[in-house]
Amino acid sequence: MDDRGSTLGPDPDLQAEGMQLGADPEMLELRAEAATGPAGQETQANAAALLEQRRQRRYLVRALLRSPTFMTGLIVVLFWVFMALFSQFVTQSPTAVDAMHTLAPPSAAHWFGTDDLGRDVLARTMAGARSVLVIAPLATLLALLWGGIIGLVAGFYRGITDEIIMRLIDVLLALPIIITSILILSLLGKGTAIIIIAIGALFTPVVSRTIRSAVIGEREREYVMAARLRGERSAFVMAREILPNITQPIIVEGTIRLGYAVFTAATLSFLGFGLAPPSPDWGLTIATERIFLQIAPWTVLFPAAALASLVVGVNLITDGLGRVFSK
Amino acid sequence: MLRLIGRRLLLMVPTLILASILIFALAEVLPGDVGRSILGPYATQEQVALLNHKLGADKPLYQRYAVWAGNFVTGDWGESPVLKVPVRPTVMKALGNSMVLAGFALLLIVPISIVLGVFSGLRRDSALDRAITVSTLSMTVIPEFVSGVVLLYIFAVWLKWLPVTAMPPQGSNFFDRFYYLILPAIPLMFLELGYIARMARVGTVQVLAMPYIRTAVLKGLPRRRVIFGHVLRNAMVPTVTVIGSQVGWLIGGLVVIETLFVYPGIGKLMVDAAQTHDVPMLEAAVLVVAVIYMVANLIADIIVALLNPRIRMGG
Repeated sequence: MDDRGSTLGPDPDLQAEGMQLGADPEMLELRAEAATGPAGQETQANAAALLEQRRQRRYLVRALLRSPTFMTGLIVVLFWVFMALFSQFVTQSPTAVDAMHTLAPPSAAHWFGTDDLGRDVLARTMAGARSVLVIAPLATLLALLWGGIIGLVAGFYRGITDEIIMRLIDVLLALPIIITSILILSLLGKGTAIIIIAIGALFTPVVSRTIRSAVIGEREREYVMAARLRGERSAFVMAREILPNITQPIIVEGTIRLGYAVFTAATLSFLGFGLAPPSPDWGLTIATERIFLQIAPWTVLFPAAALASLVVGVNLITDGLGRVFSK
Repeated sequence: MLRLIGRRLLLMVPTLILASILIFALAEVLPGDVGRSILGPYATQEQVALLNHKLGADKPLYQRYAVWAGNFVTGDWGESPVLKVPVRPTVMKALGNSMVLAGFALLLIVPISIVLGVFSGLRRDSALDRAITVSTLSMTVIPEFVSGVVLLYIFAVWLKWLPVTAMPPQGSNFFDRFYYLILPAIPLMFLELGYIARMARVGTVQVLAMPYIRTAVLKGLPRRRVIFGHVLRNAMVPTVTVIGSQVGWLIGGLVVIETLFVYPGIGKLMVDAAQTHDVPMLEAAVLVVAVIYMVANLIADIIVALLNPRIRMGG
């Protein structure tokens, strides 16, 4: 997906967010001290830095717990996580066919009605959370992993490596993401693992761009210089020095991608490039049941509402995190 | 300015070549044995080999790419083995349909998002502002097929104000066509609304903080004239610039909405071609969309440059 974040450039809130992320001067000072100090003082300074970090983290958690946006999103998402894990103990079977009661309207026996095969819509709506909540987070993690490595390498080495990587990324982003994913998925076939890998791969360019710019902001700092003067290997500097200092932009990028991953996974299912029946996946259900919209709207509207609530929930979390981090 | 455009056009060439290689590679590996998929499981191996030879499918991949790219540039896009129709007119007709739908959606997006954005910017941090921001952003993040199906239910099934299909029956007049397009265009509008309204809001808030607005208010200009004369015009700039950068989303939205409403546009054509392994059709449709996407981004950049003298002079 072409990065919509960039289109928000002139928004002052968001700009401030980008500048302040991961750039807490106090913490950096402590870390630099820990890195350069003589051997005897190093542990002491390290301890001070650790203490400072822990204090910071506690402050952030408290701020998040007070943010109504974040908490609303969290509650919605946790509800669906709970349903994905435990719905089989709460509801009827999502795949049990009942030929006697097809397309039955909501009733005491079936709160959300039944679909064209007489399956319980409530059970299917609740179980439908499972596929999305497996695909979207794993795809996001994959994109963060690949994009993180590429972004670190491009931002750290700069020069010709950076140039080549960035030009390749430009080409990958030259096609709208939905079209590349259709091409890839029609080539590789269906299946959960394939969708995860495809979405992960397609989100990698955008993630690596974000992480690259965060790395570029860090690489000229004193603590990086100190580590290099100590003679640390590049891999160590990237993984142990720079990476811990860009966790905030990585987390924010991760939650943004998570929202898009839910969106993309659902869209691909809807288009028929995702999971196959009888999966209760929401996108797939809306695609297959939409012909009954006129006679049995409940088969479509409940999964639609469920999907909408999950997407909005994830985006509320993103919004809340962004606000707290930018303070 | 001309140099900026020229440089961007030159940059498009390698990108386009790489993208076409990507499309070709992905699409050509897709069907496996071309001859077998056309002739079906009952043909003999000799017949399959003969057809593959006739189609050139037995040549090495790079040669096939050269032939395909050459033919594409000269306008010979081949014939669909699945639909048995020539590819170029089919793609162009579908593209035309999509353009009508996308254009109609843009006609709705621009005024509505600007009005909403300016309203919430004028009443910054009020309940109205928050309501507009939250609702437009929710509309934007919800997948278009979800909002599409809900709107379809409300306006076509329940209230029966609008038709269920997106294409008018044969022999309808020009205006009927737009009546049928209202329902598909709204979810497309939702997709963009949050971002564009947000830009208009930010533009409004920034303009309101300017000294010349205070001057205008203090010299006794009626509020209406301040808003229409100064605020609206300046809020438009960031709004217009953001629209061009949203073309990728609009294309993605078209794919989904055309599938949902069974509208014969290029998005539906692509999905169908991918599902039936109609390789020539898929390649042509995707490449056409890639070209449009790049040109649209270029135009968006040119508009930004025209509106911003710093970029214009620097280019």
